[in-house]
Amino acid sequence: MKIDANLWRLAIAALALSAAPSLSSAQNGGFGAGYGPPLKVIPPPKQFASSEEHYKYLLEQAKGGTKQTLATVPRWDGLWVTAGNTHLSAFITTGNFDGKVIEGVLTPAYEKAYKERWRQQTEEGQVHYDRLGHCEPPGLPRFLLEPYTHEFINLPQESYLINDFGPSIRRVLLGKEHSNLYGTHSWYGDTIGFWDGDKLVLNTKYLYPADFTRWSPMTSNQFETVEIWQLKKYDGGIERLEVQATFYDKYAFVKPVNVVYAFRHATELIKADYRVNHWECDQTSESYLDDKGVTNFHLPGEEGFHDGRGATMFPELPGQTRDPIYNTTLPTATTSAPPATTKGAKP
Amino acid sequence: MNKIFTTLSVALAGAALSATVAQAHHSFAMFDGKTQIVKTGTVVRWAFNNPHSWLYLNVKNADGTDTLWSFEGSAPTGLIQRGITGDTFKPGATVTFMYCPLRDGRPGGAIGWAKLDDDKYLNPADGGCNGGDENQKKWTDWLAKGYTSSTEAEAAVGK
Repeated sequence: MKIDANLWRLAIAALALSAAPSLSSAQNGGFGAGYGPPLKVIPPPKQFASSEEHYKYLLEQAKGGTKQTLATVPRWDGLWVTAGNTHLSAFITTGNFDGKVIEGVLTPAYEKAYKERWRQQTEEGQVHYDRLGHCEPPGLPRFLLEPYTHEFINLPQESYLINDFGPSIRRVLLGKEHSNLYGTHSWYGDTIGFWDGDKLVLNTKYLYPADFTRWSPMTSNQFETVEIWQLKKYDGGIERLEVQATFYDKYAFVKPVNVVYAFRHATELIKADYRVNHWECDQTSESYLDDKGVTNFHLPGEEGFHDGRGATMFPELPGQTRDPIYNTTLPTATTSAPPATTKGAKP
Repeated sequence: MNKIFTTLSVALAGAALSATVAQAHHSFAMFDGKTQIVKTGTVVRWAFNNPHSWLYLNVKNADGTDTLWSFEGSAPTGLIQRGITGDTFKPGATVTFMYCPLRDGRPGGAIGWAKLDDDKYLNPADGGCNGGDENQKKWTDWLAKGYTSSTEAEAAVGK
Protein backbone atom coordinates (compact mmCIF):
# COMPACT_ATOMS: atom_id res chain seq x y z
CA MET A 1 0.00 0.00 0.00
CA LYS A 2 2.82 2.34 0.87
CA ILE A 3 4.46 1.74 -2.48
CA ASP A 4 1.23 2.61 -4.25
CA ALA A 5 0.90 5.84 -2.28
CA ASN A 6 4.52 6.75 -2.97
CA LEU A 7 4.17 6.02 -6.65
CA TRP A 8 1.08 8.19 -6.73
CA ARG A 9 2.97 11.08 -5.15
CA LEU A 10 5.86 10.72 -7.57
CA ALA A 11 3.46 10.54 -10.48
CA ILE A 12 1.83 13.78 -9.39
CA ALA A 13 5.20 15.45 -9.05
CA ALA A 14 6.31 14.18 -12.44
CA LEU A 15 3.07 15.36 -13.98
CA ALA A 16 3.54 18.77 -12.43
CA LEU A 17 7.07 19.02 -13.76
CA SER A 18 6.15 17.85 -17.21
CA ALA A 19 3.24 20.27 -17.34
CA ALA A 20 5.23 23.27 -16.19
CA PRO A 21 7.20 24.15 -19.32
CA SER A 22 4.19 23.97 -21.60
CA LEU A 23 2.08 25.99 -19.23
CA SER A 24 4.65 28.69 -18.75
CA SER A 25 5.21 29.08 -22.44
CA ALA A 26 1.71 28.52 -23.69
CA GLN A 27 -0.16 30.38 -20.94
CA ASN A 28 -3.21 28.23 -21.43
CA GLY A 29 -6.21 28.05 -19.14
CA GLY A 30 -4.40 26.00 -16.51
CA PHE A 31 -2.98 28.86 -14.45
CA GLY A 32 -1.18 27.40 -11.46
CA ALA A 33 -1.71 23.81 -12.53
CA GLY A 34 0.41 21.10 -10.96
CA TYR A 35 -0.49 21.61 -7.33
CA GLY A 36 -2.01 18.48 -5.84
CA PRO A 37 -3.59 15.58 -7.70
CA PRO A 38 -5.05 16.16 -11.17
CA LEU A 39 -8.29 18.07 -11.10
CA LYS A 40 -11.34 15.99 -11.94
CA VAL A 41 -14.67 17.32 -13.15
CA ILE A 42 -17.64 16.00 -11.15
CA PRO A 43 -20.66 16.53 -13.40
CA PRO A 44 -24.14 17.06 -11.92
CA PRO A 45 -26.13 13.92 -11.08
CA LYS A 46 -28.44 14.62 -14.00
CA GLN A 47 -28.96 17.18 -16.72
CA PHE A 48 -31.02 20.25 -15.92
CA ALA A 49 -32.82 22.64 -18.23
CA SER A 50 -31.55 25.73 -16.47
CA SER A 51 -29.18 26.88 -13.75
CA GLU A 52 -32.19 27.70 -11.60
CA GLU A 53 -33.57 24.15 -11.87
CA HIS A 54 -30.11 22.78 -11.06
CA TYR A 55 -29.71 25.06 -8.05
CA LYS A 56 -33.17 24.25 -6.67
CA TYR A 57 -32.47 20.52 -7.02
CA LEU A 58 -29.27 20.89 -4.99
CA LEU A 59 -31.10 22.98 -2.40
CA GLU A 60 -33.74 20.29 -2.03
CA GLN A 61 -31.08 17.58 -1.75
CA ALA A 62 -29.49 19.63 1.03
CA LYS A 63 -32.89 19.93 2.73
CA GLY A 64 -32.85 23.70 2.52
CA GLY A 65 -29.17 24.01 3.31
CA THR A 66 -27.01 23.96 6.41
CA LYS A 67 -27.56 26.85 8.79
CA GLN A 68 -24.13 28.10 9.73
CA THR A 69 -23.11 30.26 12.65
CA LEU A 70 -19.95 32.27 13.17
CA ALA A 71 -18.58 29.27 15.03
CA THR A 72 -19.41 26.70 12.36
CA VAL A 73 -19.12 28.48 9.02
CA PRO A 74 -16.16 27.08 7.03
CA ARG A 75 -13.22 29.49 7.05
CA TRP A 76 -11.13 30.06 3.95
CA ASP A 77 -9.05 32.86 5.45
CA GLY A 78 -5.89 34.29 3.96
CA LEU A 79 -4.59 34.84 0.46
CA TRP A 80 -5.18 32.43 -2.39
CA VAL A 81 -3.92 32.03 -5.93
CA THR A 82 -5.17 29.88 -8.75
CA ALA A 83 -4.15 26.23 -8.78
CA GLY A 84 -5.24 25.07 -12.21
CA ASN A 85 -8.46 24.23 -13.96
CA THR A 86 -9.90 22.08 -16.73
CA HIS A 87 -11.28 25.10 -18.52
CA LEU A 88 -9.67 24.82 -21.94
CA SER A 89 -10.26 21.07 -22.11
CA ALA A 90 -13.98 21.81 -22.30
CA PHE A 91 -13.52 23.53 -25.65
CA ILE A 92 -10.21 22.41 -27.18
CA THR A 93 -9.30 18.82 -28.11
CA THR A 94 -5.93 18.78 -26.33
CA GLY A 95 -6.68 21.45 -23.75
CA ASN A 96 -3.72 23.36 -25.14
CA PHE A 97 -2.70 25.48 -28.10
CA ASP A 98 -1.86 22.49 -30.26
CA GLY A 99 -5.51 21.41 -30.25
CA LYS A 100 -8.59 22.21 -32.25
CA VAL A 101 -12.03 23.45 -31.31
CA ILE A 102 -14.19 20.56 -30.11
CA GLU A 103 -17.21 20.48 -32.36
CA GLY A 104 -20.71 20.21 -30.97
CA VAL A 105 -20.08 21.92 -27.64
CA LEU A 106 -21.12 25.35 -28.89
CA THR A 107 -24.14 26.36 -30.93
CA PRO A 108 -23.41 26.92 -34.65
CA ALA A 109 -23.12 30.70 -34.39
CA TYR A 110 -20.86 30.57 -31.32
CA GLU A 111 -18.81 27.69 -32.71
CA LYS A 112 -18.16 29.61 -35.91
CA ALA A 113 -17.15 32.67 -33.91
CA TYR A 114 -14.93 30.60 -31.65
CA LYS A 115 -13.15 28.91 -34.56
CA GLU A 116 -12.24 32.36 -35.81
CA ARG A 117 -11.02 33.39 -32.34
CA TRP A 118 -8.97 30.20 -32.11
CA ARG A 119 -7.49 30.85 -35.54
CA GLN A 120 -6.51 34.34 -34.41
CA GLN A 121 -4.93 32.97 -31.25
CA THR A 122 -3.01 30.14 -32.89
CA GLU A 123 -2.03 31.87 -36.14
CA GLU A 124 -1.66 35.50 -35.10
CA GLY A 125 -0.69 34.98 -31.47
CA GLN A 126 -3.65 36.87 -30.04
CA VAL A 127 -7.39 37.24 -30.33
CA HIS A 128 -8.63 40.54 -31.68
CA TYR A 129 -11.03 41.09 -28.82
CA ASP A 130 -9.94 40.65 -25.25
CA ARG A 131 -11.99 42.61 -22.76
CA LEU A 132 -9.01 43.24 -20.49
CA GLY A 133 -7.05 44.75 -23.36
CA HIS A 134 -9.22 47.81 -23.19
CA CYS A 135 -9.89 48.02 -19.49
CA GLU A 136 -13.14 46.13 -19.11
CA PRO A 137 -13.36 44.17 -15.82
CA PRO A 138 -12.66 40.44 -15.84
CA GLY A 139 -16.24 39.62 -14.80
CA LEU A 140 -17.65 36.15 -14.38
CA PRO A 141 -16.67 33.43 -15.31
CA ARG A 142 -13.19 34.87 -15.89
CA PHE A 143 -13.05 35.58 -12.15
CA LEU A 144 -12.56 31.85 -11.61
CA LEU A 145 -9.23 31.62 -13.41
CA GLU A 146 -7.61 35.02 -13.16
CA PRO A 147 -4.09 34.44 -11.81
CA TYR A 148 -4.11 37.30 -9.36
CA THR A 149 -4.68 37.20 -5.60
CA HIS A 150 -7.97 36.04 -4.16
CA GLU A 151 -9.59 36.27 -0.72
CA PHE A 152 -12.69 34.40 0.40
CA ILE A 153 -14.61 35.61 3.41
CA ASN A 154 -17.42 33.45 4.73
CA LEU A 155 -20.03 34.71 7.16
CA PRO A 156 -23.24 32.95 8.22
CA GLN A 157 -25.49 35.13 6.04
CA GLU A 158 -23.17 35.99 3.17
CA SER A 159 -19.84 35.31 1.55
CA TYR A 160 -17.45 37.67 -0.21
CA LEU A 161 -15.37 36.23 -3.02
CA ILE A 162 -12.64 38.71 -3.85
CA ASN A 163 -10.12 38.93 -6.67
CA ASP A 164 -7.56 41.71 -6.60
CA PHE A 165 -7.90 42.02 -10.38
CA GLY A 166 -9.91 45.14 -10.67
CA PRO A 167 -10.42 44.47 -7.80
CA SER A 168 -13.63 42.57 -8.03
CA ILE A 169 -15.97 41.31 -5.34
CA ARG A 170 -18.69 38.74 -5.75
CA ARG A 171 -21.25 39.23 -3.00
CA VAL A 172 -23.04 36.01 -2.23
CA LEU A 173 -26.34 36.31 -0.41
CA LEU A 174 -27.16 33.07 1.41
CA GLY A 175 -30.70 31.75 1.64
CA LYS A 176 -32.08 34.48 -0.63
CA GLU A 177 -33.84 34.62 -3.99
CA HIS A 178 -32.38 36.46 -6.97
CA SER A 179 -32.95 40.18 -7.11
CA ASN A 180 -32.24 42.62 -9.93
CA LEU A 181 -33.37 46.12 -9.00
CA TYR A 182 -31.12 47.63 -11.65
CA GLY A 183 -33.16 45.92 -14.32
CA THR A 184 -30.08 45.05 -16.33
CA HIS A 185 -27.09 42.74 -16.38
CA SER A 186 -23.61 43.36 -15.01
CA TRP A 187 -20.04 42.03 -14.90
CA TYR A 188 -20.63 39.83 -11.84
CA GLY A 189 -24.41 39.48 -11.95
CA ASP A 190 -26.40 38.43 -8.93
CA THR A 191 -25.25 35.47 -6.83
CA ILE A 192 -27.27 33.57 -4.27
CA GLY A 193 -26.18 30.51 -2.35
CA PHE A 194 -26.45 28.10 0.53
CA TRP A 195 -24.22 25.83 2.54
CA ASP A 196 -24.49 22.07 2.18
CA GLY A 197 -22.25 20.99 5.03
CA ASP A 198 -18.81 22.30 4.04
CA LYS A 199 -19.86 22.94 0.43
CA LEU A 200 -20.87 26.41 -0.67
CA VAL A 201 -23.40 26.15 -3.52
CA LEU A 202 -23.91 29.21 -5.73
CA ASN A 203 -26.19 30.31 -8.52
CA THR A 204 -25.31 33.38 -10.59
CA LYS A 205 -27.51 35.13 -13.17
CA TYR A 206 -27.81 38.47 -14.96
CA LEU A 207 -24.30 38.51 -16.43
CA TYR A 208 -22.97 40.61 -19.29
CA PRO A 209 -22.07 38.89 -22.54
CA ALA A 210 -18.31 38.89 -23.15
CA ASP A 211 -15.35 36.68 -23.93
CA PHE A 212 -15.10 33.75 -21.53
CA THR A 213 -11.35 34.34 -21.48
CA ARG A 214 -8.79 35.35 -24.08
CA TRP A 215 -8.54 31.81 -25.44
CA SER A 216 -12.15 30.83 -24.98
CA PRO A 217 -15.51 31.18 -26.68
CA MET A 218 -17.73 34.19 -26.30
CA THR A 219 -20.63 33.88 -23.89
CA SER A 220 -24.06 35.49 -24.16
CA ASN A 221 -26.24 37.53 -21.82
CA GLN A 222 -27.94 34.24 -20.90
CA PHE A 223 -24.79 32.76 -19.36
CA GLU A 224 -25.52 31.46 -15.85
CA THR A 225 -23.61 29.33 -13.37
CA VAL A 226 -24.05 26.79 -10.64
CA GLU A 227 -20.86 26.44 -8.59
CA ILE A 228 -19.99 24.12 -5.72
CA TRP A 229 -17.03 25.37 -3.67
CA GLN A 230 -15.29 23.02 -1.26
CA LEU A 231 -11.95 22.96 0.53
CA LYS A 232 -10.26 19.62 -0.19
CA LYS A 233 -7.28 18.16 1.68
CA TYR A 234 -4.73 15.78 0.18
CA ASP A 235 -1.62 13.93 1.31
CA GLY A 236 1.44 16.03 1.87
CA GLY A 237 -0.46 18.81 3.63
CA ILE A 238 -1.99 20.00 0.36
CA GLU A 239 -5.13 22.10 0.72
CA ARG A 240 -7.00 23.07 -2.40
CA LEU A 241 -10.20 25.04 -2.74
CA GLU A 242 -12.02 23.40 -5.63
CA VAL A 243 -14.91 24.82 -7.60
CA GLN A 244 -17.09 22.42 -9.56
CA ALA A 245 -18.87 24.70 -12.00
CA THR A 246 -21.70 24.05 -14.44
CA PHE A 247 -22.22 26.73 -17.04
CA TYR A 248 -25.56 27.30 -18.75
CA ASP A 249 -25.95 29.46 -21.84
CA LYS A 250 -28.86 28.78 -24.19
CA TYR A 251 -27.33 30.92 -26.93
CA ALA A 252 -23.74 29.69 -26.69
CA PHE A 253 -23.77 26.08 -25.43
CA VAL A 254 -25.50 23.05 -26.94
CA LYS A 255 -25.72 21.64 -23.43
CA PRO A 256 -24.33 22.73 -20.05
CA VAL A 257 -20.54 22.80 -19.75
CA ASN A 258 -18.82 21.36 -16.66
CA VAL A 259 -15.44 22.65 -15.53
CA VAL A 260 -13.43 22.50 -12.31
CA TYR A 261 -11.27 25.37 -11.05
CA ALA A 262 -8.94 25.42 -8.05
CA PHE A 263 -7.13 27.76 -5.69
CA ARG A 264 -4.27 27.15 -3.26
CA HIS A 265 -2.94 29.09 -0.29
CA ALA A 266 -0.64 31.87 -1.51
CA THR A 267 2.10 30.89 0.92
CA GLU A 268 4.79 32.94 -0.84
CA LEU A 269 2.67 36.09 -0.73
CA ILE A 270 1.68 35.52 2.90
CA LYS A 271 5.35 35.04 3.80
CA ALA A 272 6.19 38.32 2.05
CA ASP A 273 3.45 40.06 4.07
CA TYR A 274 1.64 40.99 0.89
CA ARG A 275 -1.52 43.10 1.17
CA VAL A 276 -4.21 43.18 -1.46
CA ASN A 277 -4.40 46.74 -2.67
CA HIS A 278 -7.00 48.52 -4.70
CA TRP A 279 -6.03 49.09 -8.30
CA GLU A 280 -7.79 49.65 -11.56
CA CYS A 281 -6.89 49.26 -15.17
CA ASP A 282 -6.44 52.99 -15.61
CA GLN A 283 -3.65 52.94 -13.03
CA THR A 284 -1.01 51.61 -15.39
CA SER A 285 -2.43 49.89 -18.40
CA GLU A 286 -1.04 51.49 -21.52
CA SER A 287 -2.50 48.90 -23.86
CA TYR A 288 -4.92 49.80 -26.64
CA LEU A 289 -6.19 48.29 -29.85
CA ASP A 290 -4.41 49.87 -32.83
CA ASP A 291 -5.98 50.54 -36.22
CA LYS A 292 -5.22 46.95 -37.24
CA GLY A 293 -7.11 45.64 -34.23
CA VAL A 294 -3.90 44.50 -32.58
CA THR A 295 -3.05 45.16 -28.94
CA ASN A 296 -0.27 47.71 -28.62
CA PHE A 297 1.12 50.20 -26.09
CA HIS A 298 1.35 53.92 -25.68
CA LEU A 299 4.86 54.81 -24.51
CA PRO A 300 5.87 57.88 -22.49
CA GLY A 301 5.79 61.01 -24.59
CA GLU A 302 3.25 59.60 -27.03
CA GLU A 303 -0.27 60.88 -27.29
CA GLY A 304 -2.52 58.52 -25.36
CA PHE A 305 0.05 57.68 -22.70
CA HIS A 306 -1.36 58.27 -19.25
CA ASP A 307 1.02 58.51 -16.38
CA GLY A 308 -0.36 56.37 -13.58
CA ARG A 309 2.32 57.61 -11.20
CA GLY A 310 2.35 61.20 -12.37
CA ALA A 311 0.57 64.21 -10.93
CA THR A 312 -3.17 64.56 -10.60
CA MET A 313 -5.13 67.17 -12.56
CA PHE A 314 -3.94 69.74 -10.04
CA PRO A 315 -0.13 69.74 -10.38
CA GLU A 316 0.07 73.34 -9.20
CA LEU A 317 -0.84 72.19 -5.70
CA PRO A 318 1.87 70.70 -3.48
CA GLY A 319 1.68 66.98 -2.84
CA GLN A 320 -0.17 65.97 -6.01
CA THR A 321 2.22 63.36 -7.39
CA ARG A 322 1.14 59.73 -7.18
CA ASP A 323 4.77 58.69 -6.82
CA PRO A 324 5.60 60.44 -3.53
CA ILE A 325 8.30 58.00 -2.41
CA TYR A 326 10.62 58.27 -5.43
CA ASN A 327 9.01 61.31 -7.08
CA THR A 328 9.98 60.33 -10.61
CA THR A 329 8.75 62.05 -13.75
CA LEU A 330 8.18 60.81 -17.27
CA PRO A 331 7.53 62.79 -20.43
CA THR A 332 3.87 63.25 -21.30
CA ALA A 333 2.08 63.91 -24.55
CA THR A 334 2.33 67.61 -23.90
CA THR A 335 5.94 67.52 -22.74
CA SER A 336 8.63 66.90 -25.29
CA ALA A 337 11.49 67.47 -22.86
CA PRO A 338 13.69 64.46 -22.16
CA PRO A 339 12.75 62.40 -19.12
CA ALA A 340 14.48 63.13 -15.88
CA THR A 341 14.28 62.13 -12.28
CA THR A 342 13.83 64.88 -9.77
CA LYS A 343 16.18 63.61 -7.13
CA GLY A 344 15.85 65.37 -3.85
CA ALA A 345 12.56 67.02 -4.71
CA LYS A 346 9.92 66.91 -2.01
CA PRO A 347 6.71 65.24 -3.03
CA MET B 1 10.40 6.74 3.48
CA ASN B 2 6.85 7.93 3.14
CA LYS B 3 7.86 11.37 4.36
CA ILE B 4 10.72 11.53 1.89
CA PHE B 5 8.43 10.80 -1.02
CA THR B 6 5.86 13.30 0.22
CA THR B 7 8.50 15.98 0.66
CA LEU B 8 9.99 15.23 -2.72
CA SER B 9 6.66 15.36 -4.47
CA VAL B 10 5.67 18.63 -2.86
CA ALA B 11 9.07 20.12 -3.63
CA LEU B 12 8.88 19.04 -7.25
CA ALA B 13 5.36 20.37 -7.57
CA GLY B 14 6.56 23.64 -6.08
CA ALA B 15 9.35 23.81 -8.62
CA ALA B 16 6.83 23.28 -11.34
CA LEU B 17 4.60 26.01 -9.97
CA SER B 18 7.42 28.49 -9.95
CA ALA B 19 7.67 28.02 -13.68
CA THR B 20 4.06 28.92 -14.23
CA VAL B 21 3.69 32.23 -12.49
CA ALA B 22 3.80 34.46 -15.56
CA GLN B 23 0.63 36.46 -15.54
CA ALA B 24 -1.08 37.76 -18.59
CA HIS B 25 -3.33 40.79 -18.71
CA HIS B 26 -3.18 41.08 -22.49
CA SER B 27 -1.63 39.29 -25.43
CA PHE B 28 2.09 39.51 -26.14
CA ALA B 29 1.82 39.63 -29.91
CA MET B 30 3.37 43.10 -30.01
CA PHE B 31 6.70 41.70 -28.78
CA ASP B 32 9.23 39.77 -30.83
CA GLY B 33 9.71 37.00 -28.30
CA LYS B 34 12.35 35.24 -30.42
CA THR B 35 14.76 38.16 -30.38
CA GLN B 36 16.59 38.88 -27.13
CA ILE B 37 18.82 41.90 -26.69
CA VAL B 38 20.98 43.02 -23.76
CA LYS B 39 21.45 46.66 -22.85
CA THR B 40 22.54 48.66 -19.82
CA GLY B 41 20.62 51.67 -18.58
CA THR B 42 19.80 53.90 -15.65
CA VAL B 43 16.49 53.48 -13.88
CA VAL B 44 14.13 56.42 -14.31
CA ARG B 45 11.12 54.71 -12.75
CA TRP B 46 10.14 51.26 -11.57
CA ALA B 47 6.35 51.24 -11.75
CA PHE B 48 5.54 48.22 -9.63
CA ASN B 49 1.89 48.37 -10.55
CA ASN B 50 -0.97 46.15 -11.60
CA PRO B 51 -1.92 44.79 -14.04
CA HIS B 52 1.68 44.97 -15.25
CA SER B 53 4.86 46.49 -13.96
CA TRP B 54 6.90 48.85 -16.16
CA LEU B 55 10.60 49.55 -15.94
CA TYR B 56 11.63 52.86 -17.51
CA LEU B 57 15.33 53.36 -18.15
CA ASN B 58 17.56 55.89 -19.85
CA VAL B 59 19.90 54.14 -22.24
CA LYS B 60 22.91 55.96 -23.64
CA ASN B 61 23.08 56.34 -27.41
CA ALA B 62 26.29 56.33 -29.43
CA ASP B 63 26.19 60.13 -29.68
CA GLY B 64 26.01 60.51 -25.92
CA THR B 65 22.33 61.37 -25.71
CA ASP B 66 19.83 59.37 -23.69
CA THR B 67 16.73 57.59 -24.92
CA LEU B 68 13.98 56.58 -22.54
CA TRP B 69 13.19 52.90 -22.96
CA SER B 70 10.03 51.26 -21.57
CA PHE B 71 9.80 47.61 -20.59
CA GLU B 72 6.78 45.69 -19.44
CA GLY B 73 7.09 43.09 -16.71
CA SER B 74 4.88 40.81 -14.69
CA ALA B 75 2.29 41.77 -12.07
CA PRO B 76 3.34 42.42 -8.46
CA THR B 77 1.80 39.20 -7.12
CA GLY B 78 3.97 37.17 -9.45
CA LEU B 79 7.08 39.27 -8.87
CA ILE B 80 6.86 39.13 -5.08
CA GLN B 81 6.99 35.35 -5.34
CA ARG B 82 10.32 35.84 -7.15
CA GLY B 83 11.70 38.20 -4.50
CA ILE B 84 11.10 41.40 -6.46
CA THR B 85 9.31 44.33 -4.82
CA GLY B 86 8.58 48.00 -5.46
CA ASP B 87 12.01 48.89 -4.09
CA THR B 88 14.06 46.57 -6.26
CA PHE B 89 14.91 49.00 -9.08
CA LYS B 90 15.56 52.37 -7.49
CA PRO B 91 15.76 55.53 -9.63
CA GLY B 92 19.34 56.16 -10.64
CA ALA B 93 20.43 52.52 -10.31
CA THR B 94 22.37 50.96 -13.15
CA VAL B 95 20.70 47.89 -14.61
CA THR B 96 21.91 45.45 -17.22
CA PHE B 97 18.91 43.78 -18.71
CA MET B 98 17.70 41.51 -21.46
CA TYR B 99 14.50 42.26 -23.37
CA CYS B 100 12.41 41.18 -26.32
CA PRO B 101 11.77 44.23 -28.49
CA LEU B 102 8.52 45.75 -29.70
CA ARG B 103 7.95 44.63 -33.25
CA ASP B 104 7.35 48.18 -34.46
CA GLY B 105 10.82 49.34 -33.47
CA ARG B 106 9.91 51.87 -30.82
CA PRO B 107 12.18 52.01 -27.76
CA GLY B 108 10.54 49.38 -25.63
CA GLY B 109 9.74 45.75 -25.18
CA ALA B 110 9.08 42.94 -22.77
CA ILE B 111 11.65 42.63 -20.02
CA GLY B 112 13.44 39.30 -19.69
CA TRP B 113 16.06 39.12 -16.92
CA ALA B 114 17.78 42.04 -15.18
CA LYS B 115 20.95 42.47 -13.10
CA LEU B 116 21.79 45.18 -10.60
CA ASP B 117 25.25 46.02 -9.23
CA ASP B 118 25.52 42.71 -7.38
CA ASP B 119 25.42 40.92 -10.74
CA LYS B 120 22.67 38.56 -9.57
CA TYR B 121 19.94 37.69 -12.02
CA LEU B 122 16.40 38.85 -11.35
CA ASN B 123 13.40 37.66 -13.30
CA PRO B 124 10.76 40.39 -13.67
CA ALA B 125 9.45 38.89 -16.93
CA ASP B 126 5.89 38.26 -17.90
CA GLY B 127 4.85 36.09 -20.84
CA GLY B 128 6.39 38.37 -23.48
CA CYS B 129 10.02 37.37 -22.89
CA ASN B 130 11.82 34.52 -21.15
CA GLY B 131 13.61 35.66 -18.00
CA GLY B 132 13.75 32.21 -16.40
CA ASP B 133 16.61 30.20 -14.93
CA GLU B 134 17.48 28.23 -18.05
CA ASN B 135 17.65 31.34 -20.18
CA GLN B 136 19.77 33.07 -17.54
CA LYS B 137 22.26 30.19 -17.71
CA LYS B 138 22.39 30.47 -21.49
CA TRP B 139 22.98 34.19 -21.26
CA THR B 140 25.76 33.76 -18.70
CA ASP B 141 27.66 31.85 -21.35
CA TRP B 142 26.76 34.26 -24.14
CA LEU B 143 27.71 37.33 -22.11
CA ALA B 144 31.06 35.75 -21.24
CA LYS B 145 31.67 35.42 -24.97
CA GLY B 146 30.74 39.05 -25.54
CA TYR B 147 27.36 38.61 -27.19
CA THR B 148 24.57 41.07 -26.52
CA SER B 149 21.89 39.70 -28.81
CA SER B 150 20.46 36.24 -29.26
CA THR B 151 20.65 36.70 -33.01
CA GLU B 152 24.42 37.09 -33.06
CA ALA B 153 24.95 34.43 -30.38
CA GLU B 154 22.86 31.87 -32.22
CA ALA B 155 24.52 32.75 -35.52
CA ALA B 156 27.92 32.17 -33.94
CA VAL B 157 26.84 28.81 -32.55
CA GLY B 158 25.56 27.85 -36.00
CA LYS B 159 28.95 28.57 -37.61
